[in-house]
Amino acid sequence: MSSSLITHPSTMRPMTTTTKSALFALLASTLLVPGAVRAQERMTVPPQDKPVALRGATIHTVTKGTITNGTIVLDRGRIAAIGGADLAIPNGARVVDVTGKHIYPGLVDAYSTVGITEIGAVDVSNDINELGDFNPNVRAEVAVNAESRHIGTTRSAGVLVSFSTPEGGVISGLSSALNLEGWTWEEMSMKGAAALNVRWPDPNARPRRGFGGGGRGQAGPPPKTYAEQVQQIKDWFGEARAYRDAVKSGQDVRTDSRYAAMIPALEGTIPVVVAAEGAAQINDAITWGKAEGVKLVIRGGRDALFVADRLKAENVPVILTSTMAAPERDYEGYDGAYAMPAKLYAAGVKFAIAGGSGGLYSNRLPWDAGVAVAFGLPEEEALKSVTINAATFLGIADKVGSLEVGKEGTLLITTGTPLDMTSNIEQSYIQGREINMMDIHKWFFQKYMEKIKQQTPKKVVP
Amino acid sequence: MSVTRFLLGLTALAVSSIEAQQSSRTQPITGLRDNATGYHALVGARVVTGPGQVLTNATVVVRNGLITAVGAGLAAPSGARVWDMKGLTVYPGFVDASADMGGDAPPQGGDVGPTHWNPQVRAWFSTTANLKDDSTRRIALRSLGFGTVLAVPRQGIFRGSASVVTLSEAGVRERVLRPDIAQSIAFQRSFALGGMYPNSSMGTTALMKQTFMDAEWYPRAWAAYEASGRASLPPETSEALAALGKAVKGQQPVYFETTSEEEYLRAYKLAQDYKLTPWFRGNGQEYRLIDVLKGRPQPLVVPLAFPDAPNVSSPEAAANATLSDLRHWYLAPTNPAQLAAAGVPFAITADGLSSLQQFLPNLRTAVARGLAPDKALAALTTVPATWLGIDKSHGTIAAGKAANLVVTAGDLFTEESEVRDVWVQGVRYGVTRPPQVDPRGTWTITSSDPGAFTSAIVRIEGPLNRIRGTIEISGKRSVNLTSARITTETGRLEATFPGEAIGLEGSTLLAGSVRDQEFFGWVSLPNGTDATYRGTRTEAYEGPARGAVASRVPKLDLPFMRPSMEFGRTAAPPQPAAVLVRNATVWTQGAQGKMQNADLLVQAGKVVRVGQKLTAPAGATEIDATGKHVTPGLIDPHTHSGVSDVNESGFAIVPEVQMGDVVTHNNIWFYRQLAGGLTTTMIKHGSANPIGGENVYVKTRWGSLPDEYKITGAPRTVKFALGENPKRSPTRYPNTRMGVQEIIRDHFLAARDYRKEWQRWEKEKTGIPPRRDLRMEAILDILDQKLLVSSHGYRADEFLALVRLAEEFGFRIQTLQHGVEAFKIASELKASGVAAVVWSDWGAFKMEAYDNTTYNARLLMEAGVVTSLHSDNAEISTRMNWEAGKLLRTGVEEVAALSTVTNQSAKAIAIDNRVGSLEAGKDADFVIWNGNPLSQFTKAEQTWVDGRRYFSLEEDKALRAETARQRSQLIQAVLAATPAEGTPAAGAPARPRGPGGSR
Repeated sequence: MSSSLITHPSTMRPMTTTTKSALFALLASTLLVPGAVRAQERMTVPPQDKPVALRGATIHTVTKGTITNGTIVLDRGRIAAIGGADLAIPNGARVVDVTGKHIYPGLVDAYSTVGITEIGAVDVSNDINELGDFNPNVRAEVAVNAESRHIGTTRSAGVLVSFSTPEGGVISGLSSALNLEGWTWEEMSMKGAAALNVRWPDPNARPRRGFGGGGRGQAGPPPKTYAEQVQQIKDWFGEARAYRDAVKSGQDVRTDSRYAAMIPALEGTIPVVVAAEGAAQINDAITWGKAEGVKLVIRGGRDALFVADRLKAENVPVILTSTMAAPERDYEGYDGAYAMPAKLYAAGVKFAIAGGSGGLYSNRLPWDAGVAVAFGLPEEEALKSVTINAATFLGIADKVGSLEVGKEGTLLITTGTPLDMTSNIEQSYIQGREINMMDIHKWFFQKYMEKIKQQTPKKVVP
Repeated sequence: MSVTRFLLGLTALAVSSIEAQQSSRTQPITGLRDNATGYHALVGARVVTGPGQVLTNATVVVRNGLITAVGAGLAAPSGARVWDMKGLTVYPGFVDASADMGGDAPPQGGDVGPTHWNPQVRAWFSTTANLKDDSTRRIALRSLGFGTVLAVPRQGIFRGSASVVTLSEAGVRERVLRPDIAQSIAFQRSFALGGMYPNSSMGTTALMKQTFMDAEWYPRAWAAYEASGRASLPPETSEALAALGKAVKGQQPVYFETTSEEEYLRAYKLAQDYKLTPWFRGNGQEYRLIDVLKGRPQPLVVPLAFPDAPNVSSPEAAANATLSDLRHWYLAPTNPAQLAAAGVPFAITADGLSSLQQFLPNLRTAVARGLAPDKALAALTTVPATWLGIDKSHGTIAAGKAANLVVTAGDLFTEESEVRDVWVQGVRYGVTRPPQVDPRGTWTITSSDPGAFTSAIVRIEGPLNRIRGTIEISGKRSVNLTSARITTETGRLEATFPGEAIGLEGSTLLAGSVRDQEFFGWVSLPNGTDATYRGTRTEAYEGPARGAVASRVPKLDLPFMRPSMEFGRTAAPPQPAAVLVRNATVWTQGAQGKMQNADLLVQAGKVVRVGQKLTAPAGATEIDATGKHVTPGLIDPHTHSGVSDVNESGFAIVPEVQMGDVVTHNNIWFYRQLAGGLTTTMIKHGSANPIGGENVYVKTRWGSLPDEYKITGAPRTVKFALGENPKRSPTRYPNTRMGVQEIIRDHFLAARDYRKEWQRWEKEKTGIPPRRDLRMEAILDILDQKLLVSSHGYRADEFLALVRLAEEFGFRIQTLQHGVEAFKIASELKASGVAAVVWSDWGAFKMEAYDNTTYNARLLMEAGVVTSLHSDNAEISTRMNWEAGKLLRTGVEEVAALSTVTNQSAKAIAIDNRVGSLEAGKDADFVIWNGNPLSQFTKAEQTWVDGRRYFSLEEDKALRAETARQRSQLIQAVLAATPAEGTPAAGAPARPRGPGGSR
């Protein structure tokens, strides 16, 4: 499929057996490739320089149906054409035969911390929570470590676009849409200020010192009531609006980077994503968001079923973050979280499914969506929940989320649905580039297969 | 309990005293002797002499502290002080077999002397030697009717000895009826006493076991020392161990205080294992163990602590109310009635309430919720008196018995009654008094000074301690009296009212005195005028009648369920004689491999065979599984749910603690695990210790009691932990991986020394006999490979170090668990025969987990290591098939992938003789799936354990419906029982009135 300088991903893919003969076959295929042992991690590839035509696969466009024995042409990073076997292929195009394979759009994780976290318990490796409760101006992209191990493993799971998101305080900051390929965050960034994130207060929480948990061990002000906390959010948006109006009307105002950062959200050019789990939280967040006139998206949505009619009627989409979570209440069935997407779908609520476990486990996103299929959600809806829906709610559907002419050439070549572990993702393209499929997990596999090989011939006595 | 009541209790002191037993008292009398006659006749009462024994218009004669006569219509003997008891009821004085009398707090700086190394062991504490109880509690308990209690110390785990004392105001030397009759033990430690160990329920249990054994050894050690003519240095001195001597021989009761049904079960088992004579302070959850308790004769003393109603005041609050809490709210008040109905002997205690004021209302609630008043009375009198060995003198009203009496206005059990007096050993203690002068009613008064006013109507009403009223000056508007109060002994009233009542600005002061139907007094007007008045009562006051206590809680059909919560079972699922699952894809995970169109035959809980077109035995349950997949029940070798605690971190080395002691069946995860096909799991001790506690193997037998979850005959394994967790306590050794290795090593050496000491003793039998040490014995079991090591760890270096240590000492590492870096030493593990238990995809959550790879299991399998997955997480333990499925993406073949949650898991934890595959003779633990079990799109349809169907989608649906039915009925019941304006009344409409308020 490619002529990459380093280990070819398809030969990297392990054999499906655990017998000795297969072991050696595998070692031969992986380790004899020149340069393999030097390649510790994924290599970044240059931008697409010539057209590529992928031919013979079943193409799952998500928005325009499924094409069997289809052809898709990528050029200058974008999808130039999609069609059947007879689709014209531009001159000079590299033609890849993917007969029998499936092509899906790259998955989109609507809520992640990939790139801004590295090791959970090592505080200094995490750039998620800024100090203080109101940080509308912090922007995830600038903290993205392009060399993070988790980028590679996330890509290997088919997740090619990530909304990396600050989480602290009340107004947490701006999430950034990232392509998971590039030498620097700048190359990766699709949209630096993609959504403004707000954490809705919990009316049922016992009052605690401070609000929003601005930082560890921080002595906060006296606990605020729920009403006070809500009012605080209103005040911030009110101030920001006044600031915008003053700037717009040409008044001589002193700059305030916090309010300035909120203007796109006030204008409705980017969504306001409000984290809300309980029914009262969701209801109050909708009441607020509608009064505020912002483009509202609920994130979390644990109790969304209690609010389903309203979510539908008020056209508020939900980003579900806990499809794999334990049921909130013991009387809910064991499948309370698994079955919720199917129930929301039946109720006509629009939703995306996001990774619930943060950047360390962004590679679990396919399972977060796949589980809903086991519990009643149509498979194509599960696919939408991690592609076009996520892209649409967060404003990048013009670029990714489906396979359509003009969108970015960001896709997966697989043996079946990316949402089930019984199929494999063999090769991915990001913006038309055939990316390198190596990641740290595969690298350790390669390296330590070598150790086993070196040590196995010796007769060992238990 | 109002302040006035306490004062009454105190002021009653001087009424009388007992001098008849002067000859048995030692204190010389100084000053003038108090020789009040102590001779009383309570006349005209309704006398309940004992449970079910009622005399009307009866007399009780009391002399010198004893009852000398009791009978209907008996004339008062001359010389006796006559107490008119008309309209009153007399009960025998109550006995509380579990009273917290205070006075047992340790001195500042802790206990002194050679007591015990562990500050939580205070068995030497004597409630008799330290009798100095809290007078507030004494009066409060007595005011409820208790004349005698078992004072139980409350500090620590081994709390000391309990004594029967009387609640009189006599001196301490006269109050002890039976000194130090039982040793008190509790599962909850007292934080005030300090000490690091134990800090978990299993650590507490381990300490109990060790202490019982030490107490058995202690006298032998001292006897050997003495017998030798003190020819060696003595054993250690421990007052605590000395004090437990009789208890561990079964000659003195051990009184376990339990706070949950699990603690009761633990206490019972300990008592059996150590041949103790147990008494139990119950916990209010006995209704959940009725089947277990039936036929058990040991003393059981239950509190009347009924929970507040769950908050259902808003839809969201109601949505968050659990069935478990709702059921407990409804069922707790029926606890005594259920015990009575089951014939379980029990006594009632006022202990365990957040306020003693709840006691009588809760007692009435218990009666209103089904407890027969006679049973209630017995539980407060004859039953505890018998257990405490004072039934010849206490518990009933009979000639010759101690004059302990409770005098009430109204039936104490069924009406909103109140206690008037409590007699203890012939001394009367007033609790409440009826009003001697009652000014309530409507009065017409005329003033002596027409300049002030001519006439007025005054209305006085309300409870006497909070009276309220109005005054209406002729021709003016009626106004409320403000700050009105009365002295009922004299009938004097004081109040103020606004001047507007007579057209003046300011406040008017009013004073008055009532005598019979007349009213005299004066007013002081805002303009300075004083005027006297007099008047007559024109209308008597009619207060609300004393009501019978009825419950506002509607009667519901709530079946017995185990556990008493969501999805609880009413009975264990049946075990059909034979089950034939037909025409499925059967993953045998054994020699037969994965078979298409195959049948699985199960009989009597065991697998018989897998094959094609098997013949169904007569009467077999047949299941058509066409299109389905059948696998062995899944296995997770590492979970932590289903136990009361996880870590005993008090010491670095704690192999003596056993997770098997603290399994709890009140754990919804067992049900959820079944729903995900999990049938076997090892519940592990936590990772705070280089050598942690012993793990326990369970099957997910939802609906069982804790012990029934355990797999009998399973191997014994102990938790080790390496790396970051055991070294992170800054004040406890070790703080490095080097130290972890050394402390483990040093304990193995110590155990060898311990064995030598025993071997010398066994051979020579000279000197002081060695003491059995459970910690050392556990380490010896590790060395003898009777206790297999299951070690937590992440990095290759630490695992390798442990593997080498095992080789040095000859112990067996069964599994390395977590093993994020196990792949780095796959060949070494293979060479040493150590199994690896790893995650599918966990990593990077801490430093030592950073080098993770999803290919870990694959690499281990390639090297030939026995490899299993695990969850270490309740949620993930419910979907181990998907964990195995993730291995497909690392190139592991299907059957091999499933083996990491079935047969290889069983092999890793050495129960492959029982579970893990569908082969003849194995336990019939299997799952029927609606598709490929390794697919994210598949779910379990049925889960069978031991040939019993513990889960099915169909039954799940029915259980959901039943859960919903009970929840909605209970929420309605809470709303019905809750006063509209206020907070929930916990099923108890009865509220105590103020003193004298009911007449």
